[in-house]
Amino acid sequence: MKAIPVNPEQSPLVILDLLFKLKIKDVMSSPVITAMRKDPMRKVQYLMRDNRISGVPVAERGRLFGIVSINDIIQALDGGYSDDAVALHMTTQMVVLEEDMPLSFGISYFEKFKFGRFPVLNKENRLVGILSSRDVSASLLVELHNEYHKLEAKLPLAAIKDVNTITRHFRVERFDFENAGKAAHAIKKILSEQNYPPALIRRVAVAAYEMEINLVVHSLGGTFTFHMDPEKVELLAADEGPGIPNVELAMQEGYTTANDWIKSLGFGAGMGLNNIRRNADEFNIQSAVGRGTTVRATILLPSERDKPQPT
Amino acid sequence: MKLKAIVETLGCKVIYKGGAFDTKDVRNVIASDLMSDVLVVDKDHLLLITSLPSDQTIRTSDIVGAHAVLVVNNKSLPASMVSLAKELDVTLMQSPLTKFESCVMIGKLMNPT
Repeated sequence: MKAIPVNPEQSPLVILDLLFKLKIKDVMSSPVITAMRKDPMRKVQYLMRDNRISGVPVAERGRLFGIVSINDIIQALDGGYSDDAVALHMTTQMVVLEEDMPLSFGISYFEKFKFGRFPVLNKENRLVGILSSRDVSASLLVELHNEYHKLEAKLPLAAIKDVNTITRHFRVERFDFENAGKAAHAIKKILSEQNYPPALIRRVAVAAYEMEINLVVHSLGGTFTFHMDPEKVELLAADEGPGIPNVELAMQEGYTTANDWIKSLGFGAGMGLNNIRRNADEFNIQSAVGRGTTVRATILLPSERDKPQPT
Repeated sequence: MKLKAIVETLGCKVIYKGGAFDTKDVRNVIASDLMSDVLVVDKDHLLLITSLPSDQTIRTSDIVGAHAVLVVNNKSLPASMVSLAKELDVTLMQSPLTKFESCVMIGKLMNPT
């Protein structure tokens, strides 16, 4: 297994950018736990045990002399020379990193030299830290986490919301025939884009349009709300008055209070409410004179499985 | 029945040629000036014949998914109606004939026997 399973030459651009942007000094462990040349091997053994580390550089006042690995300690135990000074058994042939090198450099060192850790020096050749594969993995995870957040923030919000629910609010004014139908058209478009069957789209669009026309013709103005989730479409028209004195009578087909002007525009035949009810799976109307009217229509959607696939 | 056949037989003027003009077949016709009546029609591949030249005629056609609107009697069309037809891509045609004559001729086109 590779010490660090990231290829510093062939990775996604985000990763390559990170590996270059991050310097060794951003990733290394610092300060470093060190030993002195005259310390016994046993002392290094305890340092490793107490700090759960597997390599200890030997340094005095920042100057690096060597490094003791856990393997050196095992050999000392085996050979019975744990009381010997570190200077006698430390590794002096070392590969070091400089703190201003990019991280990609560090990763390639792990592959190239097969060491578990590298001492890190500054420009004055003083020991300033140590880099283990664990340091690299942990800091890469943190940085990727941050990058992922940044990338996610750039995604269009609508695309995420569309997966589950869509809600749209429309303001509808009294006698505003010019704009009546805009909401229904927008709703029709939303459903078309999601490939629902044309017959179902027409039911929703017709119900929505009738509700809009009712708001324009009969109300003092109100709001029209479209809400859809994977199971259903809900249409809600809520106006600010004047309210219907006799809802039962208003529901009778052909009964109308529309004036001649509205009739000249092709509406006001006393068919709208019934047509909404006919197209909806659930229909509800509530009205109070002086307060307003609320009409709610629910149309159930076919499940994902029944939905025709785009051709 | 293609819209082109209707245009040729009735001598219609095509005010706006929508995407459905050359591609879609008309299989059902409704002749009405009452949009409320149009909105209860439960058929597709629809042609709407009307003598009501208004924006809401186009809106209604769009909502019920009609392929085209045929306005009879050569009635003049408001500019807003024409621009809405373009916006919603609803084919808009003008017939020089009366509504009755237009209906008869289209009826014959649909059932030649």
